[in-house]
Amino acid sequence: MKIMRKMFLVALVLLVALQMGFANGSSEAKAETLTIWSGYPEMEKFYKQAAERFKETHPNVTVEIVSHPLREFEQKLSATIPSNTVADIIEVSTYANQKFIDAGLMPALSDEVLKFAKADGRYSSFALNNNTTNGVIYGLPLFQGRTALFYNTDMFAEAGLTRAPQTFDEMYQYAKVLAKYDEKGNLTRSGHSLRLSGQGSGVAEKFWFTLYPMGATIIEEGKTPGTYHAAYNNDAGRKALQYYIDAVYKDHWDDQLIKHDTEAFELGQTAMFFRESWVIGDIAAKAPGLNYETAPVPKDARWGRITNVENLYVTKASKNPELAWEFVLSLVDEDNQRWMFENVGWLPCRNDINIADIIERHPQFAAFVYTDPEYEEYGYIPIAAFDEVTTKLAERLVTAFLDSSLNGNSAGIAKTVSDAAAETNEILKRYKLFGE
Amino acid sequence: MNRNNANAITLRRRMNETERKKRIFVYCSILPVIAIFAFVRIIPIFKNFVYSLFESTVVNPMQEFVGLKNFVDLFRDPLFLLSLRNTSIFALFVTVFSVVLAVLLAALLVNQSKLSPLYETLYFLPVITPMVPVAVVWKWIYDPTYGLLNYILSWFGIQPIGWLVYPNTAMVAIIIMSVWKIVGYNMIIFLVGMRDIPETYIEAARIDGASTNQVFWKVIIPLLKPILLFVFVISTINSFNVFTQVFVMTSGAQGAPGNAVRTIVFDIYENGFRYFRTGYAAAEAVVLFAIILLLTFIQFGISGGSGDKKIKIGKGGAN
Amino acid sequence: MKEYSPIWLRILKHGLLLLGCVIMVLPFIWMLSTSLKIPSEVLSWPPQLIPKTFTMQNYVEVFETAPFLKFFLNSLTMSVISTICILLTSTIAGYVFGKFNFPGKNFLFVLTLATSMVPLEVYMIPLYMQMVKLSWVNTFMGLVAPYLIMSYGIFFMRQNIMASIPDDLLDAARIDGAGEARIFFTVVAPMLSGPSGALAIFAFQQTWAAFIWPLIVTSTRDLWTMELGLGMFQYRFTVDLGPINAGSMLSVLPVLIVFLFLRKKIVRGITLTGMKS
Repeated sequence: MKIMRKMFLVALVLLVALQMGFANGSSEAKAETLTIWSGYPEMEKFYKQAAERFKETHPNVTVEIVSHPLREFEQKLSATIPSNTVADIIEVSTYANQKFIDAGLMPALSDEVLKFAKADGRYSSFALNNNTTNGVIYGLPLFQGRTALFYNTDMFAEAGLTRAPQTFDEMYQYAKVLAKYDEKGNLTRSGHSLRLSGQGSGVAEKFWFTLYPMGATIIEEGKTPGTYHAAYNNDAGRKALQYYIDAVYKDHWDDQLIKHDTEAFELGQTAMFFRESWVIGDIAAKAPGLNYETAPVPKDARWGRITNVENLYVTKASKNPELAWEFVLSLVDEDNQRWMFENVGWLPCRNDINIADIIERHPQFAAFVYTDPEYEEYGYIPIAAFDEVTTKLAERLVTAFLDSSLNGNSAGIAKTVSDAAAETNEILKRYKLFGE
Repeated sequence: MNRNNANAITLRRRMNETERKKRIFVYCSILPVIAIFAFVRIIPIFKNFVYSLFESTVVNPMQEFVGLKNFVDLFRDPLFLLSLRNTSIFALFVTVFSVVLAVLLAALLVNQSKLSPLYETLYFLPVITPMVPVAVVWKWIYDPTYGLLNYILSWFGIQPIGWLVYPNTAMVAIIIMSVWKIVGYNMIIFLVGMRDIPETYIEAARIDGASTNQVFWKVIIPLLKPILLFVFVISTINSFNVFTQVFVMTSGAQGAPGNAVRTIVFDIYENGFRYFRTGYAAAEAVVLFAIILLLTFIQFGISGGSGDKKIKIGKGGAN
Repeated sequence: MKEYSPIWLRILKHGLLLLGCVIMVLPFIWMLSTSLKIPSEVLSWPPQLIPKTFTMQNYVEVFETAPFLKFFLNSLTMSVISTICILLTSTIAGYVFGKFNFPGKNFLFVLTLATSMVPLEVYMIPLYMQMVKLSWVNTFMGLVAPYLIMSYGIFFMRQNIMASIPDDLLDAARIDGAGEARIFFTVVAPMLSGPSGALAIFAFQQTWAAFIWPLIVTSTRDLWTMELGLGMFQYRFTVDLGPINAGSMLSVLPVLIVFLFLRKKIVRGITLTGMKS
């Protein structure tokens, strides 16, 4: 018993010592420490190298970088922004930050940064508008998450396909040809990996990729500016759901059992899928032998790709906002923006930076910077309710995709769509944002 | 006379002194405990009721008093009703299966044999293991294409099942995993209870000509009734709080569909800490509280109030 | 009960029990096996229980990606502090409730007993708000605060104190002139080593397994516990089951080792203390 007690005491002392060791390691040079939070783990290496460069001119500044999985990150912001325990700098999309902007918890850009942001030809009006609330700009755009179609060129060649699909109908036919089955009829390779399950708003966002070209969107502004209503309870909305149901049940070129998304593409279990440019870096790391190309999103009634702008904000919790803004400005300088594009794969927001040589080296990036007057950009609506709208729509979609009775059942599809739209409007009403 | 009096006075004085010391000790020792207790239990529990009557914003949990509106909304909210239903189904099946299996295992294990320590160790293994790693590995076992479970089932000619894909199978999957996790706990409790049953009862029944089966059903089970009830209620209450395994198994693109296994605590978490509808989430917590209260009353009602009896059984096993 | 059953019945019985054991242990073996496989073998059909090529790469990757040692230390610190505090508060309050009379005693005791059934999930929102007000969000204090006290522990210690410590003993000590605090530490506490051990194990296990509270109250990795770290970590890898299982293994292993050494004490501690009433 005595020995046990002694051992316990020794262990306790050791534990305290170890903890203190860790604490010391992380809190030295406290005087000039900037913390930055990101929702993208792959961005850590970018901030690390940017911090090292910043140290060359600011030797006494240490930058601490923390990244969270995106979903938890958004929750963390809810927890820490109101209590002023958030980092000095946060990297977040406008829509996730909007509720804090609305609540007056986010400072606007400093004058110097505002001048920088508004310089001619620096940022697209899409990126700036996305950051504007009541005429005030709150965040500085860092990168944009644009979507393109990834396709496996070996599988295309094997099926005798020589170019990327141009329209959704064509893509559907391609997917039918590209899907593979085992002798029992189980799908072993999906033609196009749709997002059919999983939690959170992702399912609705991916559904949007189909919904928008078909002519609908998730919510649109009502007659009164600043009010919104569901915009998919229409022919285009029904057609988009039909597209998914047909894919799973009628022609079975995708289903819930097979692996999905980046994972499936890297494993050679799907021929095509939509995703942002960071996948290029991921493939280079995890499946370097994969032969693939990218292409713009196909057309339907219209043509468009989603663009999510990720911004940098300096928070009210920052003890040295001037220094924080200075670091933010350094993050969007030419060298850093180019480094981020080439090494992480996220597309810079600045338009006045030459990235042609990088695209030449990595031709897969081309589809992401492809422009055409007809090729529209759409993105998350910067209102606080949007997250709940998409999350709840996603949950309904997941249920619908599992419902084989919707196969060839246009009444059922219409009901699913209209029920979901009713819920969307309910949510908007609760946030007092609804308008016909 | 005088001396006696003086003695009595000294005695009284000394007693008063002791009483005073006692009182000082009582207050000095109990006050810090009560303070912590109030801070982390009593006040939050009380405040939860208050919050549930308010409409909230991101910055202010008590923006506007709305009376019972949150509760009215709650019982019209399909997601909440779904989570209530899911949680009830989960609690029912996990409790029934884990109790029945645990009784059977305990009956098989009640006779000590050389292998008993091995059995008790292995069956208890999942109980002490934290939930997250366990949920992570079960998620992998349930994988539709490469999972171990589908592989074992394929020996019997069963086609691969997308365990976490479909609402019904996702629920079954999480129930199986949860039963696996707690069955050892229930088993040990029953084992302690069964080993406490005096040999003479069973001998007497046997002399009366009862078969093993009859002894089990007519003698052992009735004697175990208080413990059975206790385990039943505890398992149900714990099952109503289910969160961690749902959180892990629904996360990621290959996770279970959120709504299929949405539970009350999950809904509270999402409303409270994702949409920041504090008041609404607090109202949900009040409903959860009411359910647990009801279950506790049921136990107290049937077992006749005092819990001391069961503690004694427990201690009997520990000695 | 004596064994009267014929041999075939005994074989059947042990067969069933061993099958059960396999089911209980298989997930752990599967975890271990996956954590030692190279990526191409992880996703192979039919699944192999024993890897063809053993690799430690997954473990290396785990340590490169996430500070698992820090997570482990956080869990350990949190659990140790919580256990010590619960032991202290439970014993003191149990002793006072069991052996003293003072105004409001019954009320306070009933309050303690009544809240022992209320799980954290019910009151986590207001508790969190309190942490926000105190700026304890994302601090170690905030993390450990709800685990400093256990209603049931107070009740459990009171029962044990009432049953095992006679009043005469305390009075005798008082007559010898011992102060109340001294009586508590030198007479009462040493007599409670049995129940204290059981309660300590129960408390430790409960805090170690905490998930939803650390999830809510911490926001930076330097405060994450083992459970939370692993829960968050699984997002990191979409393809890589090897590292996920290696992380799981690291989180299970310390618990298993301690369990195998202190098996009897732990089983008693958790089941018997857990028998809440």
